[in-house]
Amino acid sequence: MNRKHFLSSLLTAGAALPAWNAPALRVEAAPPPLIPAYLVAGDSIGITCPAGYITAKEIQPAVQQIESWGFRVKIGETVGKKDGSFGGTDAERTADLQNMLDDPSLKAILCARGGYGAVHIIDKIDLSGLSNYPKWVIGFSDITVLLCHIHRNVNMASIHSKMCNSFPDDWSKAEPVQVESILSIRQALTGGAMQYPVAVNEKNRTGVAEGVLVGGNLKTLETLSGTRSDIDTVGKILFVEDTGEYLYSIDRMFWNLERTGKLAGLQGLVIGGFKIKPDDPGDEFGRTLYDIVLDRVKAYRFPVCFDFPVGHQKNNYALKYGMPHRLTVTAEKVMLEDQRS
Amino acid sequence: MITIPAYLQPGDTIAMICPSGYMEPARAQTCIETLRSWGYVVHVGKTMDSHSENYFSGTDEQRLADLQQALDDPAVKAILCGRGGYGLSRIIDAIDFSAFARNPKWVIGFSDVTVLHAHIHANYKVATLHAPMAGAFNDGGAEGEFVASLRQAMEGKKIKYTCNVHPMNRRGEGVGSLVGGNLSLLAHLCGTSSEIKTKGKILFLEDVGEYLYNVDRMLYQLKRNGRLDHLAGLIVGGFTDMKDTTRPFGHSVYDIIYGIVSEYDYPVCFDFPVSHSRENLALKVGVGYKLKVGKGKVTLEE
Repeated sequence: MNRKHFLSSLLTAGAALPAWNAPALRVEAAPPPLIPAYLVAGDSIGITCPAGYITAKEIQPAVQQIESWGFRVKIGETVGKKDGSFGGTDAERTADLQNMLDDPSLKAILCARGGYGAVHIIDKIDLSGLSNYPKWVIGFSDITVLLCHIHRNVNMASIHSKMCNSFPDDWSKAEPVQVESILSIRQALTGGAMQYPVAVNEKNRTGVAEGVLVGGNLKTLETLSGTRSDIDTVGKILFVEDTGEYLYSIDRMFWNLERTGKLAGLQGLVIGGFKIKPDDPGDEFGRTLYDIVLDRVKAYRFPVCFDFPVGHQKNNYALKYGMPHRLTVTAEKVMLEDQRS
Repeated sequence: MITIPAYLQPGDTIAMICPSGYMEPARAQTCIETLRSWGYVVHVGKTMDSHSENYFSGTDEQRLADLQQALDDPAVKAILCGRGGYGLSRIIDAIDFSAFARNPKWVIGFSDVTVLHAHIHANYKVATLHAPMAGAFNDGGAEGEFVASLRQAMEGKKIKYTCNVHPMNRRGEGVGSLVGGNLSLLAHLCGTSSEIKTKGKILFLEDVGEYLYNVDRMLYQLKRNGRLDHLAGLIVGGFTDMKDTTRPFGHSVYDIIYGIVSEYDYPVCFDFPVSHSRENLALKVGVGYKLKVGKGKVTLEE
């Protein structure tokens, strides 16, 4: 990013904005996150299944791609294991993840897929090894549990992104957006600047926000409420996405955010992809996602952007979770970018 | 100490309101007529006949006003919700309970009304009634044992239920306040000002139409919030119309619950008649009960 250009464009855009769209003063500075070392050629990435199961064959496209980036891959014992819908028993998944967290030779841990199951093992995981051997933990969807838990308990940055099951089998036939989404994982892992230009949406609420980026799967965030993996969002930029939920349930989850104090102190709100489950006949909710979100945030003034490329979809770019970002939402452009120190 | 509202006597007034989803007025007629035949005066709230054309029985403001009026009116001795659905989470923080706290009355319903049960229990320590709503009076329900249990409970008859044993039951005896309701709502309320504490209490749970993995996830949420570890007992009601994912979860709903509470030693009874199907006995939330899970029978006694 050309910083000079960025600042000038910000000032130009800012001139047209009401004064209250300026970033609110931070009450207290958030403690800086522990940032794992960025990866260089020859570094090792572990692959594990803390949630749903996956076969060894299914992770091959990811393994080959990651190796083509110059990294080594260590395949965890849970890959290919199956216990019901889980990638091994709770004990097996706990042990595999724990070994990888404690392994000094690993610089990153890529979760093979989401599904469901991280919450079964999260309280058995010991994160204390991370202070000696910080490493990037990578995933989304059910892995929101891990990202939240790590942010809340050890304030280590992580990566919210696609996982092994989203690597295309045949790169030559993959859509550009799919390839870009996968390559953004490498970009994040190697310390490249992260910038996400987003198409303007007329429903957006303009403004500029600066804060640590947190969030993830909305339903998962709700089911973490009150637990020791629940995140504090004050002074932060929150992003949410979801799939397969009814509109009424999405509305109820936004009320959970409100009632657990996760909206009042936000700097900015990023709405990713929502694959909405159609209403049952006779139970039409009668409100869109826009209605739900805008109604919930009307008491606040932080910027809101819709259709951000994160979610259960092809355009799901890697986000540096728990790290400072700037969100700029104007009538002409929308940009999220990580803030380099 | 829990405050128990005055039990109802013929001539008393019952307000019927719809604080959540829309209800077709015709579906409440049998209920209204039955309550009148029992000798009660029935105030039919605006949200019971709201001409709403969307999901809710009225706007948030209309639903709030109807509920608020019923809570504040000293002549109203009980508030029976027409149906559940979804909607109480949107208005619960706007309700003024000060008149209700001074002059408690029975709040009756289940499903989404779990929000009211939990919020009132957590903040005002007033007993409420988890019981069938208007729809349960239809199709012969008004003459059945479950509507009868609602009448008996609100008229102050001491409750003693006996139900069949289930092979997965864990035997034992527990004494404590009875709390609970719909699992989805109890999970949704975690971390909010409506969340209930369960230590030393008997917890009852039911749900409808959820994915098995999601039931598991919600139970883990309760567990991780410390809501399952110090119970006096657990009553597992109906978990009806459960759904499964393309990759089967591999455990039945009772297996899931059995596994999650296996590390504790309080009594557990399965298949208790509290549910979204017809089997739905009235339970006084916040009131002390004794749960006996025996070899030959299960009893829940006030």
